[in-house]
Amino acid sequence: MTMLIKALLSSAFAGLLELDTVQAGQFLLARPVFAGLILGWFNGCPVEGARMGILVELIYLDFIPVGGVVPPNGLITAVCGVLAFAWAGLPESVSFFSGVLAGFLYRGVERRLRSARSAWTAAVESGVRKGDLPLEGRLAFSLLTESAFSGAFMFAFSALLVLAASARPACPAALPAAAGLAYSLMPWLGLSGLYFRFRTQIYKKE
Amino acid sequence: MLRFAFSMAETTAKNSCIPDAHPVRMPSALPVFLRSFFIQAGWNYERFQNLGFAFAITPALRRIHGSGEKLSAALLRHLAAFNTQPYMAGFVLGNVVRMEENLAGGGADAERKMLEVKAALSSGFAAIGDRVFWGRLKPMTTQLCLMIWLSSGFYGWLLPGADSGPTAAVLFGGPLAGMAVYGAFALYLRWTGLHRGYACGGASSCGFDALNWAGLIRTLSLAGFAFSFLIVAGAFLLLWLRGRPAEAGPLPRIALALGAMALQRAARRLGRSIFSAMAAALAASLAAALLLGPERLRLYL
Repeated sequence: MTMLIKALLSSAFAGLLELDTVQAGQFLLARPVFAGLILGWFNGCPVEGARMGILVELIYLDFIPVGGVVPPNGLITAVCGVLAFAWAGLPESVSFFSGVLAGFLYRGVERRLRSARSAWTAAVESGVRKGDLPLEGRLAFSLLTESAFSGAFMFAFSALLVLAASARPACPAALPAAAGLAYSLMPWLGLSGLYFRFRTQIYKKE
Repeated sequence: MLRFAFSMAETTAKNSCIPDAHPVRMPSALPVFLRSFFIQAGWNYERFQNLGFAFAITPALRRIHGSGEKLSAALLRHLAAFNTQPYMAGFVLGNVVRMEENLAGGGADAERKMLEVKAALSSGFAAIGDRVFWGRLKPMTTQLCLMIWLSSGFYGWLLPGADSGPTAAVLFGGPLAGMAVYGAFALYLRWTGLHRGYACGGASSCGFDALNWAGLIRTLSLAGFAFSFLIVAGAFLLLWLRGRPAEAGPLPRIALALGAMALQRAARRLGRSIFSAMAAALAASLAAALLLGPERLRLYL
């Protein structure tokens, strides 16, 4: 029960942090290493949270959020990874890859939220023509829905992992070992991205 | 786009519209500055940051136009499509506020010119901001974190099982250091951008001379490359000295790391995302586990 409450609080807090990704501030509070560390600390696994967070950050350097691009969500990845480890009790490597799946899936939710907001401009314009200034309410609603949807997504995804883990499916020993080896390669995938990103930049004529 | 922005910057540097001795300050800038943190709130596919822009500029429009029809007309103008890099939005906001002040009696031509200048600035600053912040500074916060952790002896992120019980100060110091540097620069640009934009409001090259952007981008690229090189070299050194299994010698470990790096490069060359490289790493690991047996793989973990 304690872990359930912790997972609920973690998801709600992460939902607030998620606003920093796009909608409010952009102070890097939603960066995976920070979110992973904070929530790992809250759930009793700060080192694992920090490790998953920095790996997510390194690997997601591959994506740049320019224009309307919706990259996989680093915060959702890190938080779902931490909850999979702390709540579902999965091995760290499996938790990490579960988090990556969650971050990838959340792109669809984010796209739908953005599409839904497209209709708002007409309503705001109509209000302004009538002499109202409905912007504050709309934007507050936008922040609230983003926070609620992302928090609910993280909690639901982690709860599904808990259910899957408690069902104890017959898992061949090769699977966790393979996930472990692949996980140990992730820092090198990320470091390669980091190195060649800057190497490309210094040879590119801007 | 960046070349266009830099050519405008060079032109502006020659005929700078910013008085150096007594720079013009934007009146009542604080509410606009605070609201500019929500420039991306309500981001949508139809008009991008239009809702956030209108929200941020509302206090200035109220000051200039009061209430009533003029305010409504001004707000409707700024509900048009708008998209720029969020940290650079201050330059556009300040400029537009100045143009709104000068709009009285200007008629349709002045309004059209204002919207043209706004569009030109938003795309120019987006090109610069994307390169400075997303392309360089943000990855550099990750580098800073890694360098702090490496220099403090926390290698657990790189080598499984090498967690040396890092202190909370080390764990938190890594991410927070980058956030502090990045946040301070972003805040500085948001605030000075407002005043810079206001000081030369009306010019489509306004604010491009606020910093030597090309020089800054070049410097950040060089610094980023140097840090990347140091981190990767340090990582390989650690792998050589402390990697597992110790009895197998360093070569198999280094071959595995190089293989992972080659996977990332291959994915990039084929135009695939990093997920393809991750999937290939998982598939290869599974094949190795089935062929060699899980016990041999565990030696590396």
